[in-house]
Amino acid sequence: MFSSTRSKLIASFLGVSFLVGVVSLFIGSQLLYKSVLSEATNRVRLDLNAAREIYLSRIKAIQCPLTITSLEPVFRAALKKREVSELIPRLETVARRAELDFVGIVRKEGETLCGVGKSSLRCKAVEIMNPIAELVFDRKVPVSGTVILSKEFLSAESPELADRARIGLLPTPRAAPRAEEEETSGMAIAVAIPVFEEGELIGVIYGGLLLNRNQTIVDTVRDTVFQHEIYKGRNIGTATIFFNDLRISTNVMTPDGKRAIGTRVSKEVKEHVLTKGKRWTDRAFVVNDWYITAYEPIEDIFGERVGMLYVGVLEAKYADMRRKALFILISIIVAGMALAVGLGYLLANKIMNPVHQLIKASQEVSEGSLTPEIGPLSKDEEMRVLQNTFKDMVASMVRRRAEAENRLIQSEKQASVGRLAAGVAHEINNPLTGVLTYTHMLLRRKDIGNDIRSDLQTIAESTERVRKIVKGLLDFSRQIKLDKEPTEVNRLVGSAISLMDNQALVKGVTIKFNSGENLPMLTLDRNQFQSVLLNMIINALDATEPGGTINIYTATGLSASDTGHKGVEITIADTGCGIPADNLDKLFDPFFSTKEVGQGTGLGLSVSYGIVQRHGGTIRVQSELGKGSTFFIWIPIEENF
Amino acid sequence: MDSNRGEFLNTMKILIVDDEPIVLDSCRKVLEEDGFDVHLVPSADEALKALKDEEFDLLLVDVKMPKHDGMYLMQKVKEQWPDIPIIVMSGYTTPATITDGAKMGAAAFIAKPFTPDELIKELRQVIQKEKQHEKTESPCN
Repeated sequence: MFSSTRSKLIASFLGVSFLVGVVSLFIGSQLLYKSVLSEATNRVRLDLNAAREIYLSRIKAIQCPLTITSLEPVFRAALKKREVSELIPRLETVARRAELDFVGIVRKEGETLCGVGKSSLRCKAVEIMNPIAELVFDRKVPVSGTVILSKEFLSAESPELADRARIGLLPTPRAAPRAEEEETSGMAIAVAIPVFEEGELIGVIYGGLLLNRNQTIVDTVRDTVFQHEIYKGRNIGTATIFFNDLRISTNVMTPDGKRAIGTRVSKEVKEHVLTKGKRWTDRAFVVNDWYITAYEPIEDIFGERVGMLYVGVLEAKYADMRRKALFILISIIVAGMALAVGLGYLLANKIMNPVHQLIKASQEVSEGSLTPEIGPLSKDEEMRVLQNTFKDMVASMVRRRAEAENRLIQSEKQASVGRLAAGVAHEINNPLTGVLTYTHMLLRRKDIGNDIRSDLQTIAESTERVRKIVKGLLDFSRQIKLDKEPTEVNRLVGSAISLMDNQALVKGVTIKFNSGENLPMLTLDRNQFQSVLLNMIINALDATEPGGTINIYTATGLSASDTGHKGVEITIADTGCGIPADNLDKLFDPFFSTKEVGQGTGLGLSVSYGIVQRHGGTIRVQSELGKGSTFFIWIPIEENF
Repeated sequence: MDSNRGEFLNTMKILIVDDEPIVLDSCRKVLEEDGFDVHLVPSADEALKALKDEEFDLLLVDVKMPKHDGMYLMQKVKEQWPDIPIIVMSGYTTPATITDGAKMGAAAFIAKPFTPDELIKELRQVIQKEKQHEKTESPCN
């Protein structure tokens, strides 16, 4: 089954489609993966830009009301006069409107004048370092941005803030080791505006937002940039603000559904972003899942890298997209392969049907039929050639079989005649010895009369004739072995003709020899073959009236029965009386003769036929009554019997 | 010299073996007229018997005979009397019989039918050859 041409055809179809499928699947999935990844990475990069804008706009949202407040003449006057009762409500308004965690005023001497929620501090002698206000005093320009606030500062502002800032470090795999167990400092966005009165710096108004545990920025990013897109129960987009490597504000969730505050970033990202100050865009394992992520450093007002801003999209969505596309691709390939099998089957059928018909026809032939059915001629060129060749082959077989049967009959005739001849010859020769010797002994006697002598002479001559006939019979019966040697056909024919020249001259018949050129050498028994030629020429001479012509040709020729076999053909054509159609069949039979009694034994053509046959050749004859006969002797070039 | 040789020839004893009486008769008629001492036997067995009883100068043997054929006889003769020359005659002459006969040590071969002249000629040639053979061999003996 698997070795049949049909399955091979189908297998090759399948193989090709499978190969093409696998290659395209491999390349396709790679391309798909790359394009999906780059699409996702690009998106995340843009998302990070958006997140940064949100972060910065939040700073501006602080700066604006503080600046306006600082420019109010009433406020400035109150500050100059240190009218705290006047200032506090204003600060409270600002804090409420701008949703600030802390707002305060520092006087030019460095002392904190007042602040929201820290009225108690006003009397405190110990001044706590206020980094942002001090920078303003230093530079005399407004300062805004990210700032790290110490635990003391935060406590001074409000114990509540210090509490919010404190974040315990959760053990995180792949994070860089840190010695402390909790973070007490806070990261904030803050603004400080110098307040000038008549060109003189009279104080600084400052305010800010503690980022620790403040989810407004990250949730704004999630809700605006990612539009709160949910994928399989999880947010597609996440954003995080890192203080150093610590998540202080995030909407990345831990497995138990809490915000992953207190977890830390992996060591590689920290190295890349915080230490080297570069952006990171790649897939990364965030808390408990794979994300396509982007990180960038956050610098504080002093230009130090103090934290990171992160956005990430869940990789699962893209992986699923890829999986889906891959599934479609595989489906297409499988469908293609199924199509290939079907198509292959159909095509194989179309190709194989005539072949099967031919196989059936061959079987019929092998079973003896010579009229096999090969079906309609195919439209396919090669198949049609094959069908026609098969037809020709059968036709040639029919021809050759007839030829072989003919030859077999001829051989059987010769063999049976041969056996008969041998028996007859042996039996006749003994009494013939008696006749011959006694006749001759009588002829030796001197005491006989001339009439008796003459009669004895006749007996002796007749006996001689009998002896010759018997010898002829014996020659015929014998399967004489061929003694072959390379022979030039033209020379052989020429010498046979020259032997007959005199006889032809006497009879007044012209023998013309048209020798062919470039004839190949033949391997022949020269003596036997010459006797064939002589026999043919004698027959032709006998059949031709004086004034007639015998034309002899030699030429290369193909066998009439054995298709395509090369050989040499000797043609002997006479202008004699011709042979009646009835006699043509019997022409090569032993003892068949049209000559008068005593002129021929009827063995000449039969013997010639045997000799030519033993050379692997054929003798054919064409004859027309009254116009002449043509004998064709064909001998193959190589030995082929 | 000539008369001596003739005398020698004429006293030669020839054994002829053939199952055909007409052949035996023909040969006797021809050879006796030429002065040979002719003995006739119809079979190989009879020939061997005759050879044991008498000495012969030459054998004329037919090939095809019932029971034991000429080839058998030649083999026996060559074993026991290797010096007697043998002429083989046959009515069915094929190259095979000629080669087989020659292998057996036949001195000559003659095809039936033959004329008296042909037989005598063949015989004389064999005798001549034998005589020359003896002459060349005698100094050695």
